[in-house]
Amino acid sequence: MSIEVRNITKTFRTFTALQEINLYVKTGELIALLGPSGCGKTTLLRILAGLEGPTTGSILLNDQEVTDRHIGERGVGFVFQHYALFRHMTVFENIAFGLRVRPRATRPPDATIDAKVRELLKLVQLEWLGDRYPRQLSGGQRQRVALARALAVEPTVLLLDEPFGALDAKVRKELRRWLRRLHTDLHVTSVFVTHDQDEALEVADRVVVMNKGRIEQIGTPEEVYEHPATPFVYDFLGGVNLFHGRVHEGRVQVGDLDLALREQGDIPDGPAIGYVRPHEIDLHRHPGEEGAIEALVGRIQPVGAVARLEMVRTDNGELIEGEVSQEQWRELALSTGERVYVRPKSLRVFPEPVE
Amino acid sequence: MTTGVLSLDKRVPRIASTVAEPVLVRLALILVSLTFLGLFLFVPLAAILFEALKHGLGAYLVSFQEPDAIAAIELTLLATAIALPLNVVFGLSAAWAIAKFEFWGKQVLITLIDLPFSVSPVVAGLIYVLLFGLQGALGPWLAAHDIKIIFAVPGIVLATIFVTFPFVARELIPHMQAQGKDEEEAALVLGATGWQTFWRVTLPSIKWSLLYGVILCNARAMGEFGAVSVVSGHIRGETNTMPLHVEILYNEYNYVAAFAVASLLALLSLVTLAAKSLVEWTSSVEQKENRP
Repeated sequence: MSIEVRNITKTFRTFTALQEINLYVKTGELIALLGPSGCGKTTLLRILAGLEGPTTGSILLNDQEVTDRHIGERGVGFVFQHYALFRHMTVFENIAFGLRVRPRATRPPDATIDAKVRELLKLVQLEWLGDRYPRQLSGGQRQRVALARALAVEPTVLLLDEPFGALDAKVRKELRRWLRRLHTDLHVTSVFVTHDQDEALEVADRVVVMNKGRIEQIGTPEEVYEHPATPFVYDFLGGVNLFHGRVHEGRVQVGDLDLALREQGDIPDGPAIGYVRPHEIDLHRHPGEEGAIEALVGRIQPVGAVARLEMVRTDNGELIEGEVSQEQWRELALSTGERVYVRPKSLRVFPEPVE
Repeated sequence: MTTGVLSLDKRVPRIASTVAEPVLVRLALILVSLTFLGLFLFVPLAAILFEALKHGLGAYLVSFQEPDAIAAIELTLLATAIALPLNVVFGLSAAWAIAKFEFWGKQVLITLIDLPFSVSPVVAGLIYVLLFGLQGALGPWLAAHDIKIIFAVPGIVLATIFVTFPFVARELIPHMQAQGKDEEEAALVLGATGWQTFWRVTLPSIKWSLLYGVILCNARAMGEFGAVSVVSGHIRGETNTMPLHVEILYNEYNYVAAFAVASLLALLSLVTLAAKSLVEWTSSVEQKENRP
């Protein structure tokens, strides 16, 4: 089932949580709402579920207006951040709840409910835990029970609020992969909220990056990571180096470095900020002809497939983070305190925001 | 006894000698508490039973066959039977509103709930006399329509409701606030109606607090003296509750009967205490299990 968000604005007294949000989610898609805390992502999710009403705007499920439809009639499954399992019910009864509360006319017979719950317990790999209480489960198990409970009512849309937020790193990674597989199998349109960019990039078909109640960019993980639309997206998705410089007639100058703006020729002359990811910089022992930024090598972390290093610019003392392959690292044979010349392979330039 | 001594022996070495009080101090503290309890609780309780049974079980039981005593017991039960359900309904509504919504005037409501605790029961009774009494604001209108509230059963019920209404709400509010509304929201998303959510999700999770509030409320409703005394008019066999009846009998030097009815009230308080301990114990066991 497709989801359409039209011009949603939500204000709480004087605070604007969401501002003119427009979003279209295709049937069967898995979407991540990504942003820092307080950016409005959870509010948007709750509005989709019907737990909050928008101040203005409308929600359409499968092209049908549902903005005023009661929460229980929307056919959405919602997984809460802290699971919100019914603490006085067994796991089995938790999962069966959505079926048991149906009006008599549409309520399946007990045997059907029983079979359905067992099937779901199997799906979330907790067959043997049916008669336990939520308090007797680990965080990861609770999360899966919450998911099974949401799926029991066969929702057409699945909404998950920070599904892995409260779990430790290892369980989180496992569940992430598991959710992705589950989505491939069930193919139910899903939206999840996260503040973890790795999670969003790894799991989602498309990522919606949000900031201060607005959508900054919508795109596939590759698009938002490789071609960030705004400085915020650049900054939020992974480590980034910032260079303050000037744009002049299609070229950008940062310190002694002078680069041509290739596809970004339309940036007006004036102060600008260049962004470059740590793995997108070249390191040299000599300045070369095109000029480079001079820096001193600081902390080095030669662990794993890449060597990470921090460098301090000699002209203004700003920090530059770099990542080079182990091979390159051996060739360079740099050590702390040595002089190094930094050249970005590609620099993404935005005009400096006017304060 | 042996097990008690054993467990005490085991525990003693665990207390670091640097922080533990000397044995003498500990003994003194325990002795003071026990003496105090004995003097001010057990002796009076025992005295009530002793006085009540002084002239034998026969005389004791006869006290309850007296029509005025039966009327007093019936009136107390009636007032409690009306006040208690109203209190539960009010307590649940107030606690629900305060814990689960934001609304204007919430703080005022919380303060008002505590009012009966801070106002002297006698003043509470007087408020009703001033409102509904013959010289009161609504007095002439009530008299014209032949409705009696003061010095009649409705007044006693009203006064009982007034002094008891914080009990259930006070117990529920902190508990419901701590629980938040996640589980209710989960139930609603799963398609439950408001009623289903209340019966299947909210009520089971607050049942112990609710029961605890009901027990306290019950004890107060049956034992209330001050407010009821003001509005009652002390008409024997008509507007006397058990506590008022005890006072009248005592003033008439009818000690056996007075202490007999008093022993019934004392028994009630013991039962309440036992029920309260049981509820506390059960819910604390459940809470312990709730911790992962």
